[in-house]
Amino acid sequence: MKLVRAELERLGARRFVQLMIVLLVLAFGATASTTLAGSHRPTAAELVEARTQAAESRRQMDDVYQRCVDRVNGNLPPGAEEEYFPADCGEVDPVRQERLPVATDFLPGVFVFSQQAESLLYFLIAFLVLFGFLVGASYIGADLNSGGVVNLLLWRPRRMTVLGAKLGTLLGGVLGLSLLASVVYLATFWVIGQAAGFPGHLDGAFWRDLGAVHGRGLVLVLLATVLGFALATLGRHTSAALGTAAAYLVVWELGARLVMEIVDATHPERFMLSSHVGAWLSGRVEFWDASACATAAGFCDRVYALTWQPALAVLIGLTGVLAGAAFLVFRRRDLI
Amino acid sequence: MSAVIEIEGLRKTFNSVRNGRRVAVDGFDLTVGAGEVHGFLGPNGSGKTTTLRALLGLVRADGGWMNVLGAPSPTHLSQVAGRVGAIVESPQFFGNFTGYRTLRLLALAGGVPVSRVDEVLAQVGLQDRGDERVKGYSLGMKQRLAVASALLKNPELLILDEPANGLDPAGIREMRDLMRSLADGGVTVLISSHILAEIQLICDHVTIISRGRRVAAGRVDEVLAGFDQHEFLVRVAEPERAAELLRAGGLPVDVHPDHLVVGQVGDPTTISRLLGEQGLWVRELTALRPDLESVFLELTGEGPQPQVPRQVDPGPHDRVIELDAGVGEGRGDDA
Repeated sequence: MKLVRAELERLGARRFVQLMIVLLVLAFGATASTTLAGSHRPTAAELVEARTQAAESRRQMDDVYQRCVDRVNGNLPPGAEEEYFPADCGEVDPVRQERLPVATDFLPGVFVFSQQAESLLYFLIAFLVLFGFLVGASYIGADLNSGGVVNLLLWRPRRMTVLGAKLGTLLGGVLGLSLLASVVYLATFWVIGQAAGFPGHLDGAFWRDLGAVHGRGLVLVLLATVLGFALATLGRHTSAALGTAAAYLVVWELGARLVMEIVDATHPERFMLSSHVGAWLSGRVEFWDASACATAAGFCDRVYALTWQPALAVLIGLTGVLAGAAFLVFRRRDLI
Repeated sequence: MSAVIEIEGLRKTFNSVRNGRRVAVDGFDLTVGAGEVHGFLGPNGSGKTTTLRALLGLVRADGGWMNVLGAPSPTHLSQVAGRVGAIVESPQFFGNFTGYRTLRLLALAGGVPVSRVDEVLAQVGLQDRGDERVKGYSLGMKQRLAVASALLKNPELLILDEPANGLDPAGIREMRDLMRSLADGGVTVLISSHILAEIQLICDHVTIISRGRRVAAGRVDEVLAGFDQHEFLVRVAEPERAAELLRAGGLPVDVHPDHLVVGQVGDPTTISRLLGEQGLWVRELTALRPDLESVFLELTGEGPQPQVPRQVDPGPHDRVIELDAGVGEGRGDDA
């Protein structure tokens, strides 16, 4: 516990950590202030107008669907045949749409919390993933490079305990900061929505969905933190983690993707970490693949999907293997 | 006297793709008794720091066994780590942390009362500079901070690798006084250094390592005595004639422009008597005692040689330098 306390103080005192927190606050401040500046509280007349437009939009959707059905049944009035309708009227069936137009869709210049909270949260998660990776890498990388670990091992000559305490403290610190940042971030935009925008429809389903995105985002932040920590431990330096990440992005995500497209590889996206990150965060991602129907019987729309379960297994598996290797190497390594 | 540090047959080889295989320590033995101030000498690259790192569990030994305060190292080192203060080579610290914070974090991690931080800062003369960032410290100040970190635990055993590195003459003297006062207080001190004059002033025992092997060990005066050639410097009016007379008396003589060096002198009055009987009167008769530097240079082969460029210790040699009784390779009774 004493070691964890000391490590927590060391983590908080690191310049790099402080700099990243300042950047987070600045990014947060810039987003909040531009949102505030570009939004106003809708007047009663604007709300009435928006509701009217939403109702009109829904009515038009009903109308299009009905005429599509009429065309299929041969009941279209003369002159209407030239209008375009899809072959399958289900595509324009309002009941089968993901969502129907609502009043908040027709409030220009108004920040609607219920509509934008999720994308704002994704931005925060992206920043926290970057924060976790960089802080994880620099925390142990600088310590290994500067001899801080050696100093500590002279006091606590238990390598696994020391490295474990460092990783545990790091994860605790990043998780605490992420939770705090998320709460402050969302609360600020909620207040903006209340005071200078429109809160929108905030029912239980909304908060559940937002909470699920947040939870998945936090898992991703922690995985990125472990990844940065493990790579820097293996490479004995912060730059080892940064170099590995940069090399992966250029060589694999760009280069290998291009090669796989050229050779018509099957389902190339499943080999990319970015696809699994997307699948984990959104629950499911779909990709179009010309070769997807090669073995399919019956209808095939050339689309295949990655779901969150295998995506999570891939992300945890990769991070676990690297973290295990880092601990194993650190246990046996000569610290010279 | 019980042994505080025992090392027997320590071996360590470094393998690297770039530099190949390098034997750093090759069957090295070291024994440090309780209460000793023990000097650990060796040329650059001779295996001093590797030995200390192995002892402290920072590098994995390939062979041999080590004991620290009765606990096998590194397997049971954690049991005694709280009683061992150590600095290894030039310690590095986070430049943006103050000296005080650096020590405070170590104290917190080691379960030492934070009040000790001010005490050790004062002990090493940094009491007024503790609130400054380490990146503003001179090399000597960083060295003092390192010593302070080692003292923080109030150790029974202090292991210091080159503690005088970067210190000015006054600092070296302060460090010497500090070591001496710690030793007087019962702390066992092992100091690795290449400042031989300092070791001779501070230490009561010494071990010399060369090419990964022990070449001498024992009390400083015993080691020096082993190299005493019983030589005397003689100044006399007619040196050439005096040399002949002394040689005739069975003594080996080296003639120098203004003096003679006479060897194998059991009793210095022999010189006065041999010369006085022939009417030559001795103006100066001084015993030439070996110092640690000359012993070190002889044992490690570090002395300057014509046409041979100086280089760091290249690794173990096959030849073991034979020493006089009381010191030397393979003896285990040097503590």
